[in-house]
Amino acid sequence: MRLLTHNMLSSNIKGVTNGFPLRIEVEKVVEKSVDFNPDFLKNMFAKIEYKALVEASRIMGYAELPDHAEPSMLESDDFLRKFHHALMELHLEEGTLVCPETGRRFPVNKGVPNMLLHEDEV
Amino acid sequence: MLQILSTKQLTTRFIHTASGEASQGMIIGCIHSSFWSVSSFAASNVLGGLTRKHITLFTGCPLPRDRFTTSVQGARILNKKEMAVRQASLGGVDVDLETKTNVEKLKRGIAEFYDESSGIWEDIWGDHMHHGFYDPNSTISLSDHRAAQVRMIEEALKFASVPEDPMKKPKSIVDVGCGIGGSSQYLARKYGTECTGITLSPVQAERARALAAAQGLENKVSFEVADALNQPFPDGKFDLVWSMESGEHMPEKAKFVNELARVAAPGARIIIVTWCHRNLSSSEQSLNPDENKLLDKICDAYYLPTWCSTDDYVKLLQSLSLQDIKAADWSEYVAPFWPAVIRSALTWKGITSLILSGWKTIKGAMVMPLMMKGYKKGLIKFAIITCRKPE
Repeated sequence: MRLLTHNMLSSNIKGVTNGFPLRIEVEKVVEKSVDFNPDFLKNMFAKIEYKALVEASRIMGYAELPDHAEPSMLESDDFLRKFHHALMELHLEEGTLVCPETGRRFPVNKGVPNMLLHEDEV
Repeated sequence: MLQILSTKQLTTRFIHTASGEASQGMIIGCIHSSFWSVSSFAASNVLGGLTRKHITLFTGCPLPRDRFTTSVQGARILNKKEMAVRQASLGGVDVDLETKTNVEKLKRGIAEFYDESSGIWEDIWGDHMHHGFYDPNSTISLSDHRAAQVRMIEEALKFASVPEDPMKKPKSIVDVGCGIGGSSQYLARKYGTECTGITLSPVQAERARALAAAQGLENKVSFEVADALNQPFPDGKFDLVWSMESGEHMPEKAKFVNELARVAAPGARIIIVTWCHRNLSSSEQSLNPDENKLLDKICDAYYLPTWCSTDDYVKLLQSLSLQDIKAADWSEYVAPFWPAVIRSALTWKGITSLILSGWKTIKGAMVMPLMMKGYKKGLIKFAIITCRKPE
């Protein structure tokens, strides 16, 4: 699971008003090299929650991403590369995503999150 | 009297049986009729529970019997927060416990069916688990079917008028009921953007991930095990919401449509391509008993809940104030598909793979002639319904 994916997942358990972002518990992180695509990154910047990305990347062991970001920073190659690395190249292979309100744990196995809810959670 | 038939003879006779022509002493015929006496019993027990109970939609309106729609007036798309508040204020249950249990059984059945069957499908047909789109009355060779499956995707996008202009094309896509990711890969490549797919089957999600990685698309497509009726996304996330032949699995059509609309961004297009039954005339309250009997058999083998009509979907979309709603019957464009699948199942490779795969897959294969029968009678429709979420 890339952090781009993590950035779009939320907990929709019954009664939860804000299930985003899911807290990450790491068991196995894998870094995978991905082609650098500035246009794609610029499009994605507008769509993601930047703060959640920064927090998640720190938990995954990458501390280079600045705390705050403005769209103007997308012109800087240095920032774009850090953004690219955090968003696209850090993969959670094994671990858990945790609902911020209920503490409910969603497993991540072989990079695939299981977000199925139980009967009493819907 | 049993005869030893060649594969070609078997295929021809199998298809003729499906079309209702009489035949005797056929190997397949014998298996077919004994199979149904066992499965009808199972079907009536599992699905009877679903159809006889009232299902209260998120709007709080009880459903008329056998229909998955309601005369909803002034309903609107509930966002996550509203759904949570509503569920809390209703005391927690929108559906009674027996129905909930049946829905859970259905979902498990769907997951297990695809866990078991995906491999064999992929082996013979590739990564698109949907019908091909064919010119009516054309003759097709097996190799043309893959092109037809790709054409189905393109025709659906065209029908929905999804923009291709770089400024207006979709920038984020969700594939609801993604299978092994055939559509997700295609859409991500076509629009050069990211796509995420959800499926109930862990085997499919894992396979989808591996296939995408093998195509160098790992950075563009992702997959999660998740429920289309409770999508794990915040509101308004996607510019294109894609449901290619997954709607027929959804036990609560209103909830399914609400979720599609909820995760759609303002201005997004929603595309539903699905199996429906024929529209009811104004004097009809339901399909006739023979029609229900046929659909029940198919439901049992493919883990489908009660069917609805194209009109039902249109009414649901209208009730949510979605715009540019379009619907069409594409049954004539998919007619060559089931005979082709049956032919592929009756090859040496098909038969041996089926035997090795498991009972659920075999059951699914046995039911294929019924799909053809349903289409031929005008009972089963291959429908496309699309719309746009207002800005």
